[in-house]
Amino acid sequence: MPTYKLTCFNVRGRAELIRLLFAAGEIPYEDVRIEWDKWPELKPISDTPMGQIPTLEVDGQVICQSMAIARFVAGKAGLLGKTNMDQARADMLLDGGMDVGKLFTEMVMEKDASKKAEKKKEFGEKHLPPFLALYEGFAGDNGHFVGDSLTWSDIGFFNMMDFITAEYPGALDGYCKLNKVIDNVKSNPGVAKWLKERPVTNH
Amino acid sequence: MAPKYKFTYFNLRARGELSRLIFAAAGVQYEDYRIDFPQWPAFKEKTPMGQMPLLEADGKVVCQSGAIARYLARETGLGGKSSWEEAQVDMFVCGVNDLIDKLCDAHFASDEAIKEERTKALGPYVTKFLDNYEKLGGPDGHLVGTSLTYADLAFFVGMHDVLKHRADALEKFPKLAKVVERVRENKGVAAYIAERPETNI
Repeated sequence: MPTYKLTCFNVRGRAELIRLLFAAGEIPYEDVRIEWDKWPELKPISDTPMGQIPTLEVDGQVICQSMAIARFVAGKAGLLGKTNMDQARADMLLDGGMDVGKLFTEMVMEKDASKKAEKKKEFGEKHLPPFLALYEGFAGDNGHFVGDSLTWSDIGFFNMMDFITAEYPGALDGYCKLNKVIDNVKSNPGVAKWLKERPVTNH
Repeated sequence: MAPKYKFTYFNLRARGELSRLIFAAAGVQYEDYRIDFPQWPAFKEKTPMGQMPLLEADGKVVCQSGAIARYLARETGLGGKSSWEEAQVDMFVCGVNDLIDKLCDAHFASDEAIKEERTKALGPYVTKFLDNYEKLGGPDGHLVGTSLTYADLAFFVGMHDVLKHRADALEKFPKLAKVVERVRENKGVAAYIAERPETNI
C-alpha cells in the first residue's frame, strides 16, 4: 500500500478537493498543514518541485499542481470516469467550474472594500447565475454530471459551491439537479465523515 | 473503425495548438476546422459552454482545451505510461498553463501601468519556470519518462513566444533545449509546423 502525504497551508483552498477525493476513496493519507511562518523553510525544490504547495508525496516521490494531484487521487479512488470520453467530460466540467471559481476567488481576495463590494455584486449577478443554469443543464436527473455514478466532477462542483454559498447563500435554490449532485456527494460515506471531522478554516 | 475527429478553433495557435500538435505527433488524421471571427457569434450558441476549442469524437462534443488535450493524449498514448507518469505529465502541463496565463495577462492588459508592471515581472517568472523545469525534467529530451509525452509538446507550445523574443532563452538550460529539439525532430510535428498557417498568437 503506497504512502500518501499531502502538504498544504492550513486552509481548504486548493487542497480541499484533494482531501475530499482521499475521503471519498477512503484512502488513508497524511494531511500535513503548514503555518505561514514555516513556509520559507519548505521552499527548496526537494520539498516543493515548483516552489508551491500543495504537494503530494507518494513513496518518496513528489509532485505539485493541485489539479494534477487531484486527478491522480481521483484515479486512485476510481472517480475519474469509466471511459476516456467520460473522463474528458468530467475534465471539461471541472475546468469550466474553475473558470468561474477563479473570478470568485479574485472577488474574495480583493483587499479594497468598495472594489470588493462591486466585484461581489458583479459575480452574483453576471457570472454565477448563467454558470448555474448551464450546469443544471449538464447534470443528469440522477444527480451526476457524468454517467450514472459519482465522479470527481460531482465532488469538484460540491467543493466549489461550498465556498460560493458561504458568500451567496441560497444560490442553489431552485436547481433541482444541482441540489441532487450536492446531496449525492454529501451522502458518500467517506465524504460525510470528512465533512464532520475536517478542521474549520476561513478559506 | 477508428474514431473520426473534428477539432474546431479560431485560426490561432493560442489554446488550440497543443491539441493540433498531439494529433501531428501521433500521426492521427483529423479535421482542423478554423472559424473566422465573424462566424463566431452564430457558432457560439451551438457550443456546450460558449467557448472554443471543441473536439467532436464519436458523435460527442467536448470543450475546454485542457480536457481535449488530455483526452487526445490518452487516446494516442502520449499521456504517460503509468498513473504516476500521467500525474507528472499533468504537473508539467499545468505549470506551462500557469506560464501562458502570465504571458497573456501581460500581453492583453488594457491599463498601460498594469501592463508594464506585469511585463517586468515576466523576466524573473520565466527564469524561475525554466530553472524548475530544467531540474525536474528528464536528461534525454523528455520531461517525463523516456519517450515523447504531451508534456514535451506543451512545453514547446509555451516556449514559442518566449523563444521568439529571445532565441537564446534556453542557452543555460540544456535539458530543456533538448526537449524542444526532440519535439521539432518528430516527423509529424515537423510536417505540421512546415504547413501550418502563420498566426500572431
